[in-house]
Amino acid sequence: MASRLVDGLEVVRAALWPKPLAWATGYALLLPALLVVGLLALGLVYIVDASFRELDTRTFLLAETYSLGNFQEIWERTVFWRITGRTLLAAVIVTAITLALAFPYAYLMVRTRSSLLRKLLLISLFLPFFIGQVVRAYGWLIILGQQGIANTLLQQIGLGPFRLIFTYETVIFGLVQYMLPFAVLMLAPALAAISEEVELAAESLGARWWEAMLNVVVPMAKPGFVAAGVVVFTISLTDFAMPAVLGGGTNDFLANSIYHAFFRISDPGLASALAVILVAIGSTIVAILFAWLGTGTLGFRKSSGASA
Amino acid sequence: MRSRSTPPLWRRRQLLQTAGATALGAATLGLPRLGFANEPAKPAELIVRAWGGVWVDALNEGVSAPFSEMTGIRIRHDLTEDNEIQPRIWAAVAQGRKPPIHINWDTSTNATKSAMRGVTVDLSDLPNLEGLLPAATPVGLDGFPIVNVYSYVYVLAYREAVFPDGPPDSWNILLDPRFRSRVAVYNDGIGFHPAAQIAGGGTFEDIPDNMEPAWEFIRQLKAQNPLLGEDPDFTNWFQQGEIDVACTIISNAREARANGIDVAWTIPKEGAKIDTDALWIPQGLDDNETYWAKQYINYALTLEAQQPWLDRLGLPGVRPGVVPPADLVGDPAYPTTDEDFARLISVPTPILAEYERDWFIKFTEIMQS
Repeated sequence: MASRLVDGLEVVRAALWPKPLAWATGYALLLPALLVVGLLALGLVYIVDASFRELDTRTFLLAETYSLGNFQEIWERTVFWRITGRTLLAAVIVTAITLALAFPYAYLMVRTRSSLLRKLLLISLFLPFFIGQVVRAYGWLIILGQQGIANTLLQQIGLGPFRLIFTYETVIFGLVQYMLPFAVLMLAPALAAISEEVELAAESLGARWWEAMLNVVVPMAKPGFVAAGVVVFTISLTDFAMPAVLGGGTNDFLANSIYHAFFRISDPGLASALAVILVAIGSTIVAILFAWLGTGTLGFRKSSGASA
Repeated sequence: MRSRSTPPLWRRRQLLQTAGATALGAATLGLPRLGFANEPAKPAELIVRAWGGVWVDALNEGVSAPFSEMTGIRIRHDLTEDNEIQPRIWAAVAQGRKPPIHINWDTSTNATKSAMRGVTVDLSDLPNLEGLLPAATPVGLDGFPIVNVYSYVYVLAYREAVFPDGPPDSWNILLDPRFRSRVAVYNDGIGFHPAAQIAGGGTFEDIPDNMEPAWEFIRQLKAQNPLLGEDPDFTNWFQQGEIDVACTIISNAREARANGIDVAWTIPKEGAKIDTDALWIPQGLDDNETYWAKQYINYALTLEAQQPWLDRLGLPGVRPGVVPPADLVGDPAYPTTDEDFARLISVPTPILAEYERDWFIKFTEIMQS
C-alpha cells in the first residue's frame, strides 16, 4: 500500500518536475526563501527611497525631489545621537550579560545526568516562549512597581518603596530575561557537540575544572557563542517593546524613535532615514563580528575549533 | 488599556429610552438622503476607529448602538491608535486600495493633516451641520472635510490625598521636588506645550515663533524624572500609586475617579489647553459605504447621540442643548461660559498641524537627554 502510494507520488513528481529539470531542484527549494528575502529587500528599497525625501508639512506628502535633509536633521539633533548611543550600549551590555548567564545554564542542561533536571531546565527554557514579550514586560511592571511584590517585601524590612521600573537598568534587565532562552538554545548544540572526553582528557593532564572550562570548553564552543551573541545583539539592537513598556518614555531605543517618527509625527521620510541608519549599524557590526570571529553555528563555513 | 465596565442600570435604561426615541425620530424625520435618488444598499457593517476604555464605551453607548438599532448596520470599533491608523489610511488612498476603516474618530489636528493631504471625503452635505456651535467648524480648511464633535481640556490631575489643603493652583507643582519621579505628562508632550509656555514665563502671542519659555519649563520638568505615557497609562499609574500629579485629558481623570481612584483635577492659573476631536471619512470607499458612513456622522451630531456619548466622557458637545453631567456643572474643565473659556488656551488647529512635528521632536529631545 505504502509502496504504491510512493510510486504514485513519483509519477506525479515526474509529471510536474521532469528529469531534465533535476539540476534546478536545489534552486527551486531555495525559491520560497528567496521570495521572502526579496520582499524584505524590496521593502528596504522603498525605505531607502523615502529616507531621501523630506516631508512637506503643508500637504503631508513626501517631496518629489531627493535630498539629504532627513539625514542632516538626524546629524544635527543631539537626541538621535544620544538614542543611538543608548541603544548600542544596551545591546552590548545585554549580549555580555546574557552570554555569561546562558553558558552555565546550557552547560548544565547538556551535561547533567539527571533527566529530571534536564527536563526542568528545558521546561524553564521553553515556558517563556509561550508568553509574549509585551506580556512579560507588563509582568515586570507588576512585580517591580511601587505596589509590586518586590517593594512590598522591601517595605516589610523597613526599606523603600523604591522606583524599580522606568529606568535604563530595568530595560536592560527585561531584555536579558527575554534574550536568555535564545542564547541558551544557540549555545546548547555547540556544547553538546563537544565530547565530554575532551574535558576528561584535559583534567587527566592536570587541568583543574575551571581551567578545562576556560581553555578547552569555551574556545571549542566559540561557534555557539558567536551565533548566540549575534542573535542576542541584533534582537536587542532593534527591540521596541522593552524600552517602550519598561522605559517609562525616557529610555527610548532607535526602534522607538522610528515608531514615533512614523506614527506620532507622521514623517515617513525621517523614520525611514532612522531605519536606514539602524540597519546600517546592525549590518556593519554583524559583518565585522563575522569577519573577526567566523560565522559560528549560523554560518556555512566551519570555523576552526568547531566540531559542530 | 482599561477594561470595559458594564454600564449601570440607569445608563442601560437611558440607552434604551434614547434608542427608542431615536428610532422614533428616524421614523418621523427619516435619515436624510445625501445626494442619492434611492437609498444605497446597506453594508453589513461599518468600521469606526476609536480609542479604547471609556472612550469606546461612550461612543458605543451614545452613537454606535442606537445607530445600529436604527439602521440594522453593525458597527465594529477598531481600537488601532489614531496615529497608527493614519499612515495606513494615507497609504491605502495613495495606492488606490480600500481604506481599513469607514469612519475615523481622530484628534482635530491629525484629521486636519489628513484633510491637507486630501484623503478625506467632503461632509458639507450633512444636514445636521446646521445649527452646530462654531467649534464644530474645522479651522483653516475649506468646507467640512472633517467635523469637530466636542471639546476637551488637558487638566492638571492630582491625587487628592496628597493635597489636603486644596488643589494645586499652578503647573509649577510639576516642578516641586516633593513630586520628583511622581509626575506624568503625555509621551510627546501633547496638550502640555502651550501650558508650559505660559508657566515658563512666555506668552500665548509668542506661540509658535518663540517657544523657548516652554522648552525651559520642560527642561526643568525633565529634571523631575517624569513618567511619559498615553491615555490608559495615567489611570494605571494613579491606580498603582506611581504618580501624584499629571497633565491629562479630563475624561481619563474622571474615569479614574469613577473607578474609585483618589483623583481630582483643576485648571491652573496659567490656563490649560482646550482642543477638539473630529470625525471624518477616508476616500476610496464604495459609494454605499461612504453614504452610510456619512449617515453615522450625521447621527453623531444629533442631540440624542451627543448627550449620552459626551455624558460618559464629561465633555461639552457641538450641538446646542447638550447638558453637562451633574458632577461637572460649574466645573471650568467643562467650559460653558465666557469666563470658563477665558481660562483656557486654544491654539488654532492649523498652527498645531504645522508645528506639532517640531514640538514633539523638541519635547523628545529634552526628555531623552
